[in-house]
Amino acid sequence: MPKPKMTIALVTTYPPSQGSLNEYAYHFVRCLRDKAEVREIILLTDILPETPSIQYMLSTEASPVPIRVIPCWRFGAWTNPLRILAAIKKVQPDIVLFNLQFATFGDRKIPAALGLMTPACVRLLGLPTVVLLHHLMEKIDLKSAGFGSSIEHVIRFFGTVITRLLLMTDLVTLTMPNYVEFLTERYGVNNVALAPHGAFAETLTEPPHDVNSSGKHVVMTFGKFGTYKRVEQLLEAVALLQTQGRAIELVIAGTDSPNARGYLDAMKQRYAHVAHVTYTGYVPEEQVARVFEQATLVVFPYISTTGSSGVLHQAGEYGKAVVLPYIGDFAEVIAEEGYRGSFFEAGSVASLGQAIAALLDNPQERAAIGRHNYSAAHSLPMSDVVDWYLVHFQYLLNCKQRRKIHAVTDVSDKYYYHPHTHGTV
Amino acid sequence: MQLQMSQINTITILTLTGRFDAYSAPSVETQLKHVSEQAPSYAIVDLSGVNFVDSTALATLVQGMKRCRQANGDVYICGVQQPVRIIFELTRFDSVFRMFSTQAAAVEACFLKV
Repeated sequence: MPKPKMTIALVTTYPPSQGSLNEYAYHFVRCLRDKAEVREIILLTDILPETPSIQYMLSTEASPVPIRVIPCWRFGAWTNPLRILAAIKKVQPDIVLFNLQFATFGDRKIPAALGLMTPACVRLLGLPTVVLLHHLMEKIDLKSAGFGSSIEHVIRFFGTVITRLLLMTDLVTLTMPNYVEFLTERYGVNNVALAPHGAFAETLTEPPHDVNSSGKHVVMTFGKFGTYKRVEQLLEAVALLQTQGRAIELVIAGTDSPNARGYLDAMKQRYAHVAHVTYTGYVPEEQVARVFEQATLVVFPYISTTGSSGVLHQAGEYGKAVVLPYIGDFAEVIAEEGYRGSFFEAGSVASLGQAIAALLDNPQERAAIGRHNYSAAHSLPMSDVVDWYLVHFQYLLNCKQRRKIHAVTDVSDKYYYHPHTHGTV
Repeated sequence: MQLQMSQINTITILTLTGRFDAYSAPSVETQLKHVSEQAPSYAIVDLSGVNFVDSTALATLVQGMKRCRQANGDVYICGVQQPVRIIFELTRFDSVFRMFSTQAAAVEACFLKV
């Protein structure tokens, strides 16, 4: 007898929205559409400015799984929990997945915090609720991330409250093992699981690792800039290398962070004297491959980090060597996820220049790192990661069904995941 | 990694020894796929001799379990040792899979289902 299929609601940003994690959502949904156990996908996305040409980026490949896009929340709005709850009540999914980071719902403290309370509210409706949390509040340098304040300890306190609320859901998934251990130990919970980031690309053939044999090197950085990703030192390092006679083009691919509007325009003016710099602006999904393929190497000009990096995974998928800072848990990401790179001291232009030059001047080492990163990125494709989620979803639905049958009312049995259980569902 | 196959009545038992990783996962995947195509689709994976699993290995077990459950069967795990148990706990697959301390216990549970 075939197993019943599930309707999954995904609360997320989604292209053409330029909000953080939109690309992750796109690839997650692309793989989810191929799964036999999915009946329907409902995307509860952010509302975009009204233009007649908005087309949501959906997989063009034939798929039996229909997708409904319901724009129902707005970045920065205080009413997002009510809007999302109303939409969920209306569509009645079997399970709700939130694709979140701490600033998903706003660049100001109150709307950001209110939005992060939504998963707990959905759980109170009785729907199995899972949160994919890309960052941990406790691990973020708030100042660097654009949430700096003289009352940082107060923000930290509310951060702890928000984390507790997120942990009221059925399952919180994280992309790094040390984050799972941190939440488990600090909050004494069991409903936290590791689900690796996964590789976006499904390519089976290894790409070339050195596309710039003509002698002109493209140094590329990718992301949302202005908070903890800053390009001042990268521009200065590239200018320094150019004066040493190296033919380098710098590509700054991406936009301002929502918390640092106007940052890249300011950089354009301040560093107008640096030659061969291209600011691409927003890179649509269909252009991402070209941007990575044309790069000789990818630089991560971070002054702090918020955890695992989607851009690092992408660089690996395209077989690129990377230049990385020695900061926070970023080095741990490299070690835990099997990536290699050329490292620099964060804050030092000279060190950054040396790290870039070390790879530009040594094509063999560059290619070796590229191959290594390619292997790391392809160790677990997104399709497999989606399978991990589906088995958790099925487990939660089975638990819910069992509770209905046995009318479980014991409040101490609040969560479905227990330490050292031997699954009996 | 070494893979030994055995059969108790209609239940397939895969006994693995050594590192269970991306290099050794394809052979396990093939066997679990084969189990999912027969009836009853029950397999026991004995990990008592395994000292390391990576994400590809876990993905192989998840896929095998999904296929077998789709065919009204299952994949049971037994004999998991510390380092490997930690990975199952980190991913919460210790709740999702049916896990047993010994092969005999897993076989007994399988017989109740078949």
